[in-house]
Amino acid sequence: MGKGQPSYTDEEFVTAIRRGDDRALAQLYRLHLPMVSHFVLQNSGTEDEAKDVYQEGVMVFYEKVRDGSLELSCQIKTYLYAVCRRLWLKRLAEKGRFGGRLDDHEPFLETGAEADLAEAEERDRRFALMGEALEQIGEPCRSLLEGFYLLDRSMQQLTADFGYTNADNAKNQKYKCLVRLKKLFFSHYKEEESY
Amino acid sequence: MMTEADYYALFDAYQNGELAGAERANLERRLAADPSFAQRYDDFEELTTTLTSYGERLATRNKLKAFQAALDAEADAETTVETGNPNMPVMHISPMERKLREFWSAHRATMAIAASVAVMAVFVTLLGLEWWRASQSSSLYGYTVLRREVERIKRNQRAMGRAINQIDGSKPEAANQSKFSGTGFALTADGYLITSYHVIQGADSLLVESRDRQHYHAEPVFTDVAHDLAILRIRDKDFAGFRRLPYSFKRGQSDLGEKVYTLGYPREDLVFNDGSLSARSGFEGDTAFYQISIPVNPGNSGGPLLDDRGNLIGVVSGRQMDVQSAAFATKSSYLMKLVDSLASASPKEPYNLPRTNLLAGTSRPQQIRKLQDYVFVVKVYE
Repeated sequence: MGKGQPSYTDEEFVTAIRRGDDRALAQLYRLHLPMVSHFVLQNSGTEDEAKDVYQEGVMVFYEKVRDGSLELSCQIKTYLYAVCRRLWLKRLAEKGRFGGRLDDHEPFLETGAEADLAEAEERDRRFALMGEALEQIGEPCRSLLEGFYLLDRSMQQLTADFGYTNADNAKNQKYKCLVRLKKLFFSHYKEEESY
Repeated sequence: MMTEADYYALFDAYQNGELAGAERANLERRLAADPSFAQRYDDFEELTTTLTSYGERLATRNKLKAFQAALDAEADAETTVETGNPNMPVMHISPMERKLREFWSAHRATMAIAASVAVMAVFVTLLGLEWWRASQSSSLYGYTVLRREVERIKRNQRAMGRAINQIDGSKPEAANQSKFSGTGFALTADGYLITSYHVIQGADSLLVESRDRQHYHAEPVFTDVAHDLAILRIRDKDFAGFRRLPYSFKRGQSDLGEKVYTLGYPREDLVFNDGSLSARSGFEGDTAFYQISIPVNPGNSGGPLLDDRGNLIGVVSGRQMDVQSAAFATKSSYLMKLVDSLASASPKEPYNLPRTNLLAGTSRPQQIRKLQDYVFVVKVYE
């Protein structure tokens, strides 16, 4: 660790990440990777699977922090461990190779990770639908919406990029696209919900 | 008339705080009053927030990937530093080995279980086969037990080192309570009897029972373990002696093919069996014995072996289980030598061997009728 980078306590991590401090996030990522990687490797996973699971776990943590809805009742380390453990269990179950026993080297505490994961799953589903809807909407709507919402470009920039005569034209186009996206998105969304 | 897109423009402006006071109040009032309008606004809001957070998610994912890439690059850099230093011990792991290691770490548990299942299967199969063989071939199993019996006798009679399956069956009759029984016959008219040694082996007391159910107490006078012979004497005070013995003892050897027969008590009644003299040596080439082709059973031990002319030529001793109807009998010449040596020591009660043969020339049923009173059951109590 170290290498001249500031070291954070758990509270400092949370506040820094909430603020959008990427250095803190990088530091956190680096800090707990070995633990999760070790756990996954111990339980018949590969290096790449370990990285995938860890990134997913950090994502859950990060989104909760950014949301401001994280209620940490334990160390970040424990929370991440619990989340990644659940995620890996799920992967194993999907692979159909889960033997029922897990090589734990830390006691699994009640961390609230279960509830957070259920929430994250719901969010994942919504994002997947959104991705699908964006795939189906077609050009130039897709580029326009992605440019505005996903890549955080300003309307002026987009106007120039897409060759609209003025920003109002671009805006109108954007709203039309939003309406179409809404139809696509909600039709899937409702469809899924009616299951 | 406003299109949906116009509404979205309105909502967007509202969210960005671009609406002026009157318009804003108008919109808020309408949101509160019109549920379908409020629904439309909610949908818009959900759509945009989902879009925004989706974008954020993608950005974060890229960030994390970048972190990981940086870490990987760092690790790579570290390894190049390591390998770059010639003084550092370098561990070379070939791609093949790395793959093997990965495979091992991933499938360790499965392989361990598979291996233990295989080991279990081997042992279960072996045990199962053993059990099956034991239960299937009980005769084979009995054969080995009998062999063990043979071993035991071999140990007991180590002087001659021969191993034959002795015939000493226990009588099924529970009333007489004797542990073993065999057959015996008269040696002299005044109360000497002959039987096999193994019949009386380990006996506490002996009871001799004749065909007419008369009981006499007897005691061993002499035993010859090597030739499986025992001489008994009746000790009852009121015993007056037998009548004259009808048979005589042959001192020489008999010839192969001689018709021979025996009387004995393999069960409560006297049983006759006949056959031929099939070899002039016994089990494992023992020359003190004949091999005879008479079907004998436990209880026949100690019975007299006679030839066609009524000469006593042997004492039935045992049989070999794994050979068809191969029984063995001690040669009478050895019995005679034994009696001679005992007689020469001038005992209190002399051995008056029968000299004449009353059986010669008579038919076999007649021979047996004369003979049957001189053949006894020897009951052994331990």
